[in-house]
Amino acid sequence: MTLSTHTKNDDIGPETRLELYRLQIEIRDCEKRAYDLFLQNLIKGTSHLSLGQEAIAAGFGVAMRKGDKSFCTYRGHAHTLARGVPMEGMLGELMLRDIGLMRGKGGSMHLTSVEHGVMGSYAIIGAHLPIACGSAWRAQYLGEKDVTVCFFGDGTTNIGAFHEALNFAVIWKLPVVFVCENNVYMEYTPIHEVTAVRHPAGDRASAYGLPKIVIDGNDADIVYRTATEAIEKARNGDGPSLIECLTYRHSGHSRADPGKYRPPGELEEWKKRDPLIIYKQRLAEFGISESEALAIETESMRKVEAATELCKASPSCPKELLTADVYADGGWAWRN
Amino acid sequence: MSNTIIMPQLGETVAEGKILTWFKTVGDDIKIGDRLFEVETDKVTIEVESVVAGKLTEIKTGNGVVAKAGAVVAVVGGEAAAPVVTVAPEPKAMDSFEEVKTPLTNYGKAQTAEGWRITPLARRLLSQAHADMNALAQFASAKNLQKVEEQHVRAFLSTALVAKQSAPPPSVSSSDVITLNTIRSKTAERLTENWRNIPHVFQAIEVDFTEIELVRARNKERFKVKTGATLTYLPFIARAVCIALQSFPFINARFENNALTLMKDINLGIAVDLNHNGLVVPVVHAVQDFTLQGLAKAMARQIEKAKSGKMTVADMSGGTYSITNNGAFGTSFTTPIINAPQVAILSTDAIRKKPAVITTNLGEAIVPRLIGTVGQSFDHRAFDGAYAAAFLSKLKETLETKKWAGELGETP
Amino acid sequence: MAELSYRDAVIRGIAQEMERDKNVVFLGEDVAKAGGVFKATVGLYEQFGPLRVRDTPISEQAILGAAMGAAMTGLRPIAEIMFSDFIAVCFDYIANEMPKIAYMTNGQIKCPLVIRTGNGAGVRFGAQHSQSVENWTMMIPGLKVVAPSSPVDVIGLMAAAVRDNNPVIFHEHKALYATKGEVPDGEIIDTLGTAKILRKGKDCTILALAMMVHRAMDAAEILAGDHGIDAEVIDVRSLVPLDTQTMLASVAKTGRLFTVEENPRLLGWGAEIASIVADEGFWDLNGPIVRITTPHIPLPAADHLEDLALPNAARIVDKIVRVMNS
Repeated sequence: MTLSTHTKNDDIGPETRLELYRLQIEIRDCEKRAYDLFLQNLIKGTSHLSLGQEAIAAGFGVAMRKGDKSFCTYRGHAHTLARGVPMEGMLGELMLRDIGLMRGKGGSMHLTSVEHGVMGSYAIIGAHLPIACGSAWRAQYLGEKDVTVCFFGDGTTNIGAFHEALNFAVIWKLPVVFVCENNVYMEYTPIHEVTAVRHPAGDRASAYGLPKIVIDGNDADIVYRTATEAIEKARNGDGPSLIECLTYRHSGHSRADPGKYRPPGELEEWKKRDPLIIYKQRLAEFGISESEALAIETESMRKVEAATELCKASPSCPKELLTADVYADGGWAWRN
Repeated sequence: MSNTIIMPQLGETVAEGKILTWFKTVGDDIKIGDRLFEVETDKVTIEVESVVAGKLTEIKTGNGVVAKAGAVVAVVGGEAAAPVVTVAPEPKAMDSFEEVKTPLTNYGKAQTAEGWRITPLARRLLSQAHADMNALAQFASAKNLQKVEEQHVRAFLSTALVAKQSAPPPSVSSSDVITLNTIRSKTAERLTENWRNIPHVFQAIEVDFTEIELVRARNKERFKVKTGATLTYLPFIARAVCIALQSFPFINARFENNALTLMKDINLGIAVDLNHNGLVVPVVHAVQDFTLQGLAKAMARQIEKAKSGKMTVADMSGGTYSITNNGAFGTSFTTPIINAPQVAILSTDAIRKKPAVITTNLGEAIVPRLIGTVGQSFDHRAFDGAYAAAFLSKLKETLETKKWAGELGETP
Repeated sequence: MAELSYRDAVIRGIAQEMERDKNVVFLGEDVAKAGGVFKATVGLYEQFGPLRVRDTPISEQAILGAAMGAAMTGLRPIAEIMFSDFIAVCFDYIANEMPKIAYMTNGQIKCPLVIRTGNGAGVRFGAQHSQSVENWTMMIPGLKVVAPSSPVDVIGLMAAAVRDNNPVIFHEHKALYATKGEVPDGEIIDTLGTAKILRKGKDCTILALAMMVHRAMDAAEILAGDHGIDAEVIDVRSLVPLDTQTMLASVAKTGRLFTVEENPRLLGWGAEIASIVADEGFWDLNGPIVRITTPHIPLPAADHLEDLALPNAARIVDKIVRVMNS
């Protein structure tokens, strides 16, 4: 395993650090709010939280440029927020209100905001890896300089589309970065019980001629540095990367899962390595004052409250949307 | 909450209407069904009733003012008026939950009480023809049919032409479209084409039938015994037409491919109504030299054939001039559509007693006379109005002055 | 006007669109340097170069995923799935991804692409390379589905499919690649969602698709010559959108409907049309709607068995005569 360690030599700088902290805090607050809202039955359907995994979305979010494309899974709230999507768009979609990113038509598992480069969240495991290849192929063919970043979980590494996409991206040398968030569990089952190798993504990289990259996914600095490097490699035409980020999901798989399958003490151990605890210490180490961090925290809560109020006040979308956008002409007609 | 009153669409081709009179004034309470205003279009004058209730708060289109169909002409109930909306009916999008347009009309059961199975199309045709189902049962039984299909129904209808109205027409909701029966739809197609292609001009002339009536009254009993047919005014008119046409050969002609072909024979088409179930035009051929009596017999024979559905193609083709007679219903005049490639058609209407000025030895006097209007639509491409008018004048003269008694074999 | 094979029409159709629009790109297995296993893409690689005509690994999910990602972000890809049976391997993209992305993103994303695929039997390839799967694709909201029967339709419908802003499944019939037909010179653009009346008739309506169109036409000649039945033959061409008006108008005229389908019986495309006509055209029907299909079996490889399974002219004639004379 190649766990990098940070140095005191500050290659990141206070401005970026505050941005990394702000994103992690906002994602955490939003996810907690989402959890509260479905306890109040204001969020229907399902939802999959990234509590404990915020550093990965934040690290990549800060490393990506405007115009870069991201493809997420149904556990995509964090990655969507990390591209600058307003909280009310995300929370509103979870609450299936008109204010939501897709006005309630997609729901929590399909968060999409093309204007922010969020090219969709996909709820069929593995499906979006080949799609991300297509986005990267377009950039390559047209000579456009954007990079496509594709997030997925450890469970995805055992489905065929993962392997097809990796091979495809390498042989076509596509500008795409595959990011595996290894949060220890594939849904309810420990990933190591169902995978031939210890590192579900990292140990398979060599099969596609890629270097093995396994990093501490709870340290936003490490994620940010790794992301920057892989994205620049892609942007320079040097092909794809596969990055495995080690992390832990504090909550269950979905709202239906209390996470009873965890061995005692495991969650507590990981909570000591909570990305927010790590990063708050990091800020102090680099001389960023407590009050600056506090200001970010206060502002984050204010934004979450404001977004919640906006969502609660939002109506449901008009009934006409039922049959809108089935086809590209905006309608649904299948016959004359 | 306010409602708007709009200028209704008063016909498929009517774009606007002029409000002649408002029956209500601002401040009046209005109930649904109250007469609101009278509107005049190029086609009709009609009173418009309210479909909303409330207080009339504003009249936007006053007396004598024209408004487009769909425009808001008044506001009932409350606040400011809605903007003018054009009501051009959008092509209706299919409802999400009715992806299939199920027809709402029902044409009867798949199986009759007697056990005949009838296909849907056969049921529709029977229902639209108001066919007598007992007669159908006899027909099916005679032919030993296991089930009744379209071809059986057509055979049945053509042999018996069962238009007895024994079955009531199928219940049809107001928005339903009635599918045309075959005769009706053929007629519709042909008439539409003729109406679109031919520049029609209509002229009419009043004819004094008093002398004809005297002859007719004297001869009708004997005529009935001799020929089995009723002596109506129609044979007199048809005979007079034959005589007049011989002086006006352009009218006994066919207009085809931009050319007028004058026809040697006079083949008269007589429009026959099949109990409101369609229109057919049987033809009596080469009748230019027929006497009144012969013509009357020939016409009676063809009309009978038409009514019993026994006409052949030959019985319906070759017409050079047509006559339509609506007089039985008391109409004053009719403007018929020309049966192309013919170039003219005559209409006859009710003949009734009217005060007329006649000249006697003692001077002018007003007396009751039997007067009827005889009109003609003609194809203006074939000839002009003066020619057609001169023909009508000749027709009138013939009808009023010919010695009809001789034509009926009456010895003077 | 020139005679062209169905195979060469595929090449001409793709070339016509690639020449017109540089955003049109083409990918699939063996399609570039080898010119396709059916030789239906020969010369495209030479004409448009390696950046626009690309060979892929045997990775149907990657092919369709890549086509979709490219379509979502600005290209108009044409992807080949060599045999339509392989749609099952990448059905996620056809069933879950491409047709739903516009709807679930509230119209933020469009997916203008064409999947062309070799469909149908008649070439003795057995159960996994011979199926007619047009009905698999017909049942998914958000897809358009066409299946041309002649060279001129191949070109025109290909143009329409490439220019359409939706995912379009383009079923080419394997057994028709060698068949020929007259094709006008110059650009040809057809319209999706239109059926074509190939033979006018008054006694019954026969609907057919792809290879079955040819068999229906043969049957119609026999019906006219030997049985005095004047059949109207309609090439359905487009399953989605479906030209129901042409079909209903024909049934209104003839009173009789037969479908000739190569897909196995259950929920074949004709079932939906039969349902529509039974409903909206009920009072025009002078007899039962009858579907003539491949039985509900996998397809055998043995030539005599495959011939037995697929509807042919004799079976079509026999069925229609029996129904109409009963």
